[in-house]
Amino acid sequence: MKENGEIRIGFYICHCGVNIASVIDVERIAAYAATLPGVVVSRHYKYMCSDPGQELLGSDIREHKLNRIVVAACSPLLHEHTFRKATENAGLNPYFMHMVNIREHGSWVHEDKELATGKAQDMIRAAIRRVRFHEPLEKKRVPVLQDVLVIGGGIAGIHASLTLANAGKHVILVEREPTIGGHMAQFDKTFPTLDCAACILTPKMTSVKDHPNITLWSYSEVVKIDGSVGNYTVTVKRKPRYVNEELCVGCMECIEACIYKEGKWPDEFNVGLSKRKPIYIPFPQAVPPVPVIDPEHCVHVKTGKCRDTCVAICGDRNAIDFTQKETLTDIKVGAIVVATGFDIFDATQIPYYGYGKYRNVYTALEAERLINASGPTGGELLLPDGHKPESIAIVHCVGSRDVHYNRWCSRVCCMYSLKLAHLIKERTGAEIYNFYIDMRAPGKSMEEFYNRVSEEGVHLIRGRVADITPQALPEGSDQGGYLGKLVVQAEDTLIGRVRKIPVDMVILAVGLVPQKDAEEVRRMLNISCSTGGFFLERHPKLAPVNTFTDGIFLAGACQGPKDIPDSVAQAGAAAAEALALIDAGSVEIEPNTAYIIEEDCSGCKSCIPLCPYTAISFDEAKKKAVINEALCKGCGTCVAACPSGSIRQHLFEDEEIFSEIDGLLTYA
Amino acid sequence: MLATEEAVEQMWGVTLDKLYDSEEGRRILSCIQCGTCVGTCPHGEYMDYPPRRIITMLKAGLIDEVLASDSMVMCVNCYACQTKCPRNIRLTEILLPIVKEQSLLQLETMPAELQKAIENTFRYGNYMGESARKRTQWTKTSKIPVRILSEDPRPVDALWLVESDLSYHPRGQDVARATVQIFDAIGADFAILGNEERSAGDCGRLSWEPGLSETLIDYTLSILKKYTYNRIIVSDPHALDALNFRYPMFGFSDTVEATVSFVHRHLDMLRPRLTKTLKYRVTYHDSCCLGRHNKLYDEPRELLLAIPGIELREMVHTRENSICCGGGGGGMWLDTYYKAKGMERLSDRRLREALATGADVLAIACPYELSRFEDAVKVAGAENRIVVRDIMELLVESFGDN
Amino acid sequence: MEHTNPTDAAPWRPRIVAFFCNWCTYTAADLAGVSRMKYAPNTRIIRVMCSGRVDPQFILEAFARGADGVLVGGCHPGDCHYVEGNYKMLRRYHLLQRILSDMGIEKERFRLEWISASEGDKVKSVINDMVEKLTGLGPLALPDQRAEWDREMDILEEKMSVAETAEKEGTHA
Ligand SMILES: Cc1cc2nc3c(=O)[nH]c(=O)nc-3n(C[C@H](O)[C@H](O)[C@H](O)COP(=O)(O)OP(=O)(O)OC[C@H]3O[C@@H](n4cnc5c(N)ncnc54)[C@H](O)[C@@H]3O)c2cc1C
Ligand code: SF4
Ligand code: SF4
Ligand code: FES
Repeated sequence: MKENGEIRIGFYICHCGVNIASVIDVERIAAYAATLPGVVVSRHYKYMCSDPGQELLGSDIREHKLNRIVVAACSPLLHEHTFRKATENAGLNPYFMHMVNIREHGSWVHEDKELATGKAQDMIRAAIRRVRFHEPLEKKRVPVLQDVLVIGGGIAGIHASLTLANAGKHVILVEREPTIGGHMAQFDKTFPTLDCAACILTPKMTSVKDHPNITLWSYSEVVKIDGSVGNYTVTVKRKPRYVNEELCVGCMECIEACIYKEGKWPDEFNVGLSKRKPIYIPFPQAVPPVPVIDPEHCVHVKTGKCRDTCVAICGDRNAIDFTQKETLTDIKVGAIVVATGFDIFDATQIPYYGYGKYRNVYTALEAERLINASGPTGGELLLPDGHKPESIAIVHCVGSRDVHYNRWCSRVCCMYSLKLAHLIKERTGAEIYNFYIDMRAPGKSMEEFYNRVSEEGVHLIRGRVADITPQALPEGSDQGGYLGKLVVQAEDTLIGRVRKIPVDMVILAVGLVPQKDAEEVRRMLNISCSTGGFFLERHPKLAPVNTFTDGIFLAGACQGPKDIPDSVAQAGAAAAEALALIDAGSVEIEPNTAYIIEEDCSGCKSCIPLCPYTAISFDEAKKKAVINEALCKGCGTCVAACPSGSIRQHLFEDEEIFSEIDGLLTYA
Repeated sequence: MLATEEAVEQMWGVTLDKLYDSEEGRRILSCIQCGTCVGTCPHGEYMDYPPRRIITMLKAGLIDEVLASDSMVMCVNCYACQTKCPRNIRLTEILLPIVKEQSLLQLETMPAELQKAIENTFRYGNYMGESARKRTQWTKTSKIPVRILSEDPRPVDALWLVESDLSYHPRGQDVARATVQIFDAIGADFAILGNEERSAGDCGRLSWEPGLSETLIDYTLSILKKYTYNRIIVSDPHALDALNFRYPMFGFSDTVEATVSFVHRHLDMLRPRLTKTLKYRVTYHDSCCLGRHNKLYDEPRELLLAIPGIELREMVHTRENSICCGGGGGGMWLDTYYKAKGMERLSDRRLREALATGADVLAIACPYELSRFEDAVKVAGAENRIVVRDIMELLVESFGDN
Repeated sequence: MEHTNPTDAAPWRPRIVAFFCNWCTYTAADLAGVSRMKYAPNTRIIRVMCSGRVDPQFILEAFARGADGVLVGGCHPGDCHYVEGNYKMLRRYHLLQRILSDMGIEKERFRLEWISASEGDKVKSVINDMVEKLTGLGPLALPDQRAEWDREMDILEEKMSVAETAEKEGTHA
């Protein structure tokens, strides 16, 4: 490829207020750039991305007949789009513009002004050489499929699905559990307003079930995702529930009729605090309101020999179907909203809190179930021996803010601990001791809620619990069964004294951690995780629901610990982003595809196996490789590997990169 | 041993006035004032300035008040605070030692027993004040002959540092002789330094007499230099701690192994000898240096479980949450001082936990504990209920052919 | 006029050319910026869509033009935005290391690192570490021997592509 015609370059360096100019000598660079071959205009400007900045660029293009533009400013990932548009508006092909990242890779990471300026100068020289080889390209647009996949049916996934469905889009909601609802369905009341979780959640769950635009696939999992923005092919695994959702009328008589008269296996929804049968429904308001059969314990599924009392009672409704098999279904969607939520911290990791060792140490989620009227004790908070606890310690920050476990603050634990303190005190009159490090109550009505609970006489002790031990040393080796009073030991840092408070029950305010399979889900979606393992948003402030993969959006606690109001807000935002994408009908993608210079191709076929998208085929007649541009995603792997140099890549031409290398390293 | 190397590097050269010059020193700025350190400290409730407050005072420029107090005299160097600190602040390794060092200088009168122990160590190389010539006396009654390097300097695989308690204390000598039998059973090629040996130092830089500690380290290094060996085996966890975390600052880089891990590594060779069933209910006390600081929790337990008939019972506080016997950081020589302050001896407290398990043997792997717990048993009048035994003694007891 | 360099008068500092993939490592470098992490100013980053785009010739060219070190950054294994471009790079990396060592170029001078979008701190530590190592090694100064090298380079590039083709055929049966 040759540079053609007279090259007239316009160079612009941005001060970015003081963000760049305080470290990099922008005036010196502008003066330097003016001396480089081909540069016709060289300017520095306070804010290039502002309207006057873009206008400046445009008028220069027109006035000075510029045909190449270099903008030295922030990261192209942030503003490439802006400057391409400004270039295009002035009548020049947008791909004649190239950006140099002197902020994220320059002024923000270096302190020595001289060296930072030197580095910027090298990068600019490289870019000015590079643009000479730029070529006019055509914009590439691909159509966007109109359906949306939502993964995870917690409050975030529910809200995103409803928003999209109300806008007239068809949503496929895939939920792993037999019911939607997520963690919120397990709570009794919700802070800070103390409205009953079921009362506000159940109507939304029902709307999901009834919505003509929502296809709900519960007890299902996404196992494979192919394609890219606008056109994803998703494989969903649907596990057999052995009850036909269409035929079941939700009478639940089958559960009654099961040959097991009592529950026998830990009930997942009650976090193991009660027992369920092999045929069960997680909770009465479950959506879909269809029982599920646990194949591990159902006698029919296991042995084929059962009296099948469930089938008998179902009668001519014929909903029980032991022939169901696991199925894999492919769906095609234009966008994906990920709302897979969180898991709770495993408290057994902190041995000195005695979880899993003393029977009266509970996690907050267990406590939620114990005070829930539909929970295993009918809402009565009781110790395993049936006694009512008279004193209870609530330990904040379990597994959070601790470098040994998780560094982050889980954001909701202070507030839900106060909620539990309030609810338990109200119902049992017990003395409650909340041990906290710092009380985190930001957000609307939260501080007021904190005030309210402290005025109710809950003992708030500022100090992290250091040890929990039985008051009377348990005799013999059988500590596992210990149920007597526990002494909670902590420094009350406000009075500077160690306090040892005997209590009947301990509740651990476990933190929020990523789902156990977050890593696999992340890989499947080709998105990133933050250091802690929650999914990474594209920009912490400006793109909090986007990911680095176009067309995939985040909602709720899968992106980081957050409460219900924030999860719902984010779900709405994710739905709006997805909507904006699919409503446009098509999406512009980078024209960075690979292409073959046919006469140079030696027909060696070495590129063919390299392409992960099978975009390269072989024309047996011509004995040449052929690239299907529609399939090419533009990674450039084949370009790098072609022995005869006959594969090229738009926007990343060999000449462009070589000139960058040479430009960077040119000495006096 | 990477973690150790890192710790050593970070501990090197941190001083109070230049605290913020080092990364580890600066780490105290990350303290969130949660009080876990104070809440877990076995003596926290008696200190005017427990770790959390030391940090606030330091930040407020009021450290002199801390140095003028006796709070750090109460620190038994047990690593409990450091282990649980959610910010991973190296309290016991870095901050507390330098505060303690200066507090001791300002103390009006040094507690007499501690003073005596330091003097003795300085003059005789052991805190008891025993003569150096008597160091090898215990070998005379050993069933297995013990090679002494000063007499027979041929290269040896394992150089065993016996340390003072096992050399002089009558019960310690029992353990020393048992250890020799074990070494013999696993076919170890080992030798001791003999009368040349002096205390190698301990976890608390010999209870914060840095000059003395350095003298001992210099001396020990000069003796070690004379001989050729592959590894050093230590029975005293405090010395193990010194060798792992203090000696490297003086250029020491030999392979060091605790006796329990050395024996554990050869357990397969030992097993055939463990034929006599011991119908004991045993509870094991994790010593601070062996457990929390050197992370040896499983090896001692697996050795005990290798003995037929033993039933292991855990105390309420075990492994990283174990409670100090009160002997560390100079506590060994501060019982009278603590008593005058109305503090309960930690060994007495710990014994109660041991008794509660219903165990009839309290197994230990640190020589300080032998005397401390045996004393606690006497004070509690529990001689008929429980005995204190080193793991090596129990292993030998299980030798069918003994 | 074009060939001025303000740092010429200053003491010698290693110059590193880095090729970062758009999706992980380039983004991580942006994150390091957004988080205001400070690292050595010796690296100049060239953005490519995928580490798989990094042609061995780019690396040889960078050395030939006076780079003291070359750094390639891509997504962690299994994370490549384009499925397996980073594996292709890894294979090239091993081949190139062999060839570079034939040329007497120390292996510390050419580095391949997996840095994910969230690892801004790794960008910092890798660059700082590399600068430290290269400072220890001293200048490579290939351009001074350019005349001679130019000739050999052609031969080497030839070798490289032959070797790569052979490798590909071997692994992609
Ligand atoms: C003890 C406790 C008490 C709380 N109390 C309150 C309160 O009072 N007020 C408040 O505002 N907040 C409270 N919170 C926070 C609240 O739980 C969260 O804000 C909320 O649940 C987040 O909703 P979500 O939909 O993002 O995640 P989740 O509720 O976790 O829902 C995620 C859903 O996705 C499904 N899923 C996960 N992975 C997959 C997959 N791979 N495929 C398909 N489906 C999948 C899950 O089964 C689940 O149904 C509390 C949290 C805890 C731990
Ligand atoms: S435990 Fe650590 S963070 Fe907490 S007060 Fe003590 S030193 Fe500070
Ligand atoms: S090391 Fe032990 S005794 Fe010393 S302050 Fe920490 S917890 Fe207390
Ligand atoms: S996209 Fe990062 S290595 Fe392929």
